[in-house]
Amino acid sequence: MATEVLWWIFAGGIVGASLGVVFSGSVIHSAIFLILSLCGVGAMYALLMVEFLALVQFLIYGGAVTVLILLALKLTRMGSGEKINGRQAPVGAAVALALMAVLISVAVRTSWPGDVSDRPANIAMDLISQKLFLDFGAPFVIASVLLLVALVGAIILARQEDE
Amino acid sequence: MGAEQAWLLPAVPAGVFVLLALFGRYLPRQGDVVGVAAIGTSFLLFFFVLVDYVGIGEGADLVLKSWAWSDVGEFSLRFGIAVDPITIVMLGVVTSVALMVNIFSIGYMKGEARYYWFFAVLQLFAASMLMLVLADNLVLVYVSWELVGVCSFLLIGFYWEKRSATEAAKKAFVTTRIGDVGLLIGIILLWKESGTFNIEEIIRFAEHGGYGSTYLTVAMLFVFLGAMGKSAQFPFHVWLPDAMEGPTPVSALIHAATMVVAGVYLVARLLPVFEVAGDTMLVITLVGLITAVLTGFMAFAQTDIKKVLAYSTVGQLGFMFVALGSGAPSAAMFHLMTHAFFKSLLFLGSGSVIIATHHNQDMSKLGGMWKKLPITGTTFLIGSAALAGVVPLAGFWSKDEVLNAANHHWGVWALTIAGGAAVMTAFYTTRLFIRTFLGAPRDEHVYEHTKEPSWTMTGPLVFLATLAAVSGFFVFEGFGTALGFPGGITQFVFLEEPEKYSINLGLGALSLAIAGLGIAIGAWIYWGNSLERSTSLAQSYPWAYRWLRNKFYFDEAYQWGIDHLVLGAGYVAAWFDRYVVNDTGVNGSGEMTSWGGFVLKFLQTGRVPNYAMGIALGVVGLAFAGLMVRG
Amino acid sequence: MVPLENYLVLSAILFSLGVYGVLARRNAVLILMSVELMLNAVSLNFIAFSVYLDPDRILGAIFAVFVITVAAAEVGLALAIVIRLFRNRATSNVDEAAILKW
Repeated sequence: MATEVLWWIFAGGIVGASLGVVFSGSVIHSAIFLILSLCGVGAMYALLMVEFLALVQFLIYGGAVTVLILLALKLTRMGSGEKINGRQAPVGAAVALALMAVLISVAVRTSWPGDVSDRPANIAMDLISQKLFLDFGAPFVIASVLLLVALVGAIILARQEDE
Repeated sequence: MGAEQAWLLPAVPAGVFVLLALFGRYLPRQGDVVGVAAIGTSFLLFFFVLVDYVGIGEGADLVLKSWAWSDVGEFSLRFGIAVDPITIVMLGVVTSVALMVNIFSIGYMKGEARYYWFFAVLQLFAASMLMLVLADNLVLVYVSWELVGVCSFLLIGFYWEKRSATEAAKKAFVTTRIGDVGLLIGIILLWKESGTFNIEEIIRFAEHGGYGSTYLTVAMLFVFLGAMGKSAQFPFHVWLPDAMEGPTPVSALIHAATMVVAGVYLVARLLPVFEVAGDTMLVITLVGLITAVLTGFMAFAQTDIKKVLAYSTVGQLGFMFVALGSGAPSAAMFHLMTHAFFKSLLFLGSGSVIIATHHNQDMSKLGGMWKKLPITGTTFLIGSAALAGVVPLAGFWSKDEVLNAANHHWGVWALTIAGGAAVMTAFYTTRLFIRTFLGAPRDEHVYEHTKEPSWTMTGPLVFLATLAAVSGFFVFEGFGTALGFPGGITQFVFLEEPEKYSINLGLGALSLAIAGLGIAIGAWIYWGNSLERSTSLAQSYPWAYRWLRNKFYFDEAYQWGIDHLVLGAGYVAAWFDRYVVNDTGVNGSGEMTSWGGFVLKFLQTGRVPNYAMGIALGVVGLAFAGLMVRG
Repeated sequence: MVPLENYLVLSAILFSLGVYGVLARRNAVLILMSVELMLNAVSLNFIAFSVYLDPDRILGAIFAVFVITVAAAEVGLALAIVIRLFRNRATSNVDEAAILKW
């Protein structure tokens, strides 16, 4: 019962924050709203008893990504003042609404198998590590290579050229 | 060496053709002797074939030999020869006349440009013609048929510097082509039901009633169309007079003795099938009669020696078809043989006159040649008399047989018309002879420079004159057996019909009277020096004279048809090709692509949000589509 | 517990909002933020599915880990590009970066 109420609070928060991200007048405000939204999703993970992922979410999104974004915003001297909506806004809204309609209708109309009631309390850490390092070892290593490449690429892209 | 090796007869000239065509220029004397030797070899080989065939005896009506040419699944073409009496007659005629023409050409074509090429094409022609008569299946016949047409084209247009020659060659080829299409359709129709191209098998198939009656009539009429084209029967007669543009030896060989009789040969070969399709016989006879009468009239008003002979040839071919239509192939083949001899004699004789008078062909400039050209004149007299049908020369006997057959099969009306044509023949032949050789010369200058040509030209004339005189006696049994044939030619050519050819004295007398009548009229109008009688006749009936002179305006009518109908259809086709096929189809599809590209390029705005919108729209669209499909 | 559809609807809403942000906003960084929203919606979806439907209850989470990893890498690179763009053109308005056009 309590989890249900919590769920609805968190859900409301997430949606509200996302609306803020997309519709806000100032870019900095949008960044702040983004942090809120992402942390809300992290809380949602915790509700789903996947604490490991909640931690990862907070750390990476809340810690690294948003910092990056704010940094970039400051470096490119973003402020407020310009018109916020591009030329495609109306069509974009229509498209987004259509997409939402499709997705929701599919989600609601499908009968999902299995039921909800019995779920383990939490997930053992060793199960996660076993899966991550043994069964999905190759993607894991590739992901690390990907990060390396992204790192190097970002440095190359963003450095100052010598005059 | 026997009848089975008959394929050598065309093979030798064919090989020599290649030799002359490639190397003729470099051979001594440009290879004319080589050409003569080739044809001479074929002529010699003919006797071997003949002896062997006759030796096989009665009852063996065919000697066959064939090679596989192309076998594709169930469709097989064979390359083979079949020797039967008709073939033997044709082989003899073709090789002898071709040999005479080759010898004659040495003198006639002396000093002409492309001398070697003339002999080369003569060899090719001989090879094709021999192959045509030896062929055992219709495809081979058709191939040889076309080949002789090509040789005719090449030779008519030999003096291609002259516009009129090229026009004549084109006209000959196109006119016969129309007939050839008919022949091809006929061959295909015959093949479709019987599944074979082989002539023997088709004859048997038809006699056993394998073809439906209307179907067969249609098919044989198409085949006859081909024969009409090649043999210049009405209404295809227009090409032969124009073909006189070619050198005179060509006219003698191709347009008198051999190629134009290919139609007669074909009909004779397939006559059993024509007889099964009964109505076609009447058509054949009628076409022959109409042609004979029509061309007889046209010959009245011509002044060019060769043109008179050309019309005469067409008329005599008509006679042969009358004989065929009356179910008497031996009469037709007999007349074919005698006609080949005396007509080629007449042509070569006129060639001799032409050379002697330095290329003057117009009768209005000739006259009195008898004194200056004795040998030519005598042989020409023999030839003319044979053509007119004077006893005891060959033409009398063969024409008599034709008239006999017509009367026997169709009755008096056919006899009357044919007889009328025979009178006309005698008349214009007399006119020709008198105006060329008798009387006083009309042009002194030409007369002075005339002299008898060399033995290469007069020799063949004598040989052919002899044949024209004696070959008529083949009809008699005694003559034939003396030479080793069982029975006369009639028994030889069609071993089962000896009874048609007993000599009918009444009819013989009638033929003689007919000939005499024609000669008398001719002599009355033209004898003597002046042209008074003929010109006064022409003036009394000017419209008749004009119609005759202009050959009944056939050429003009055909030209009108071509200009308006054929070219009109051509313009429609050209319009269609330019506007529908080219502009709309070819250019259009290219332009549409181009235009499509031009329109689509505006999608490349360079703005990322636009591209993102594209992706999003695509996704939404697919999602909706999936939703619709899955429900 | 809350039924599965709730999570799905929530993630659908998040995703659509992200799409709108990508299509309708002018600022490059803001577009990136919307992409992050979309990625989060996807991860949420995966985890919800894995918890509710998968007996092992863990595969979706593994997938979500990878999604987060890649998203982080991508954001880093993308921001580097934005900085570059800003340096060249003195604007980070995507509407004005339109040279590669017809």
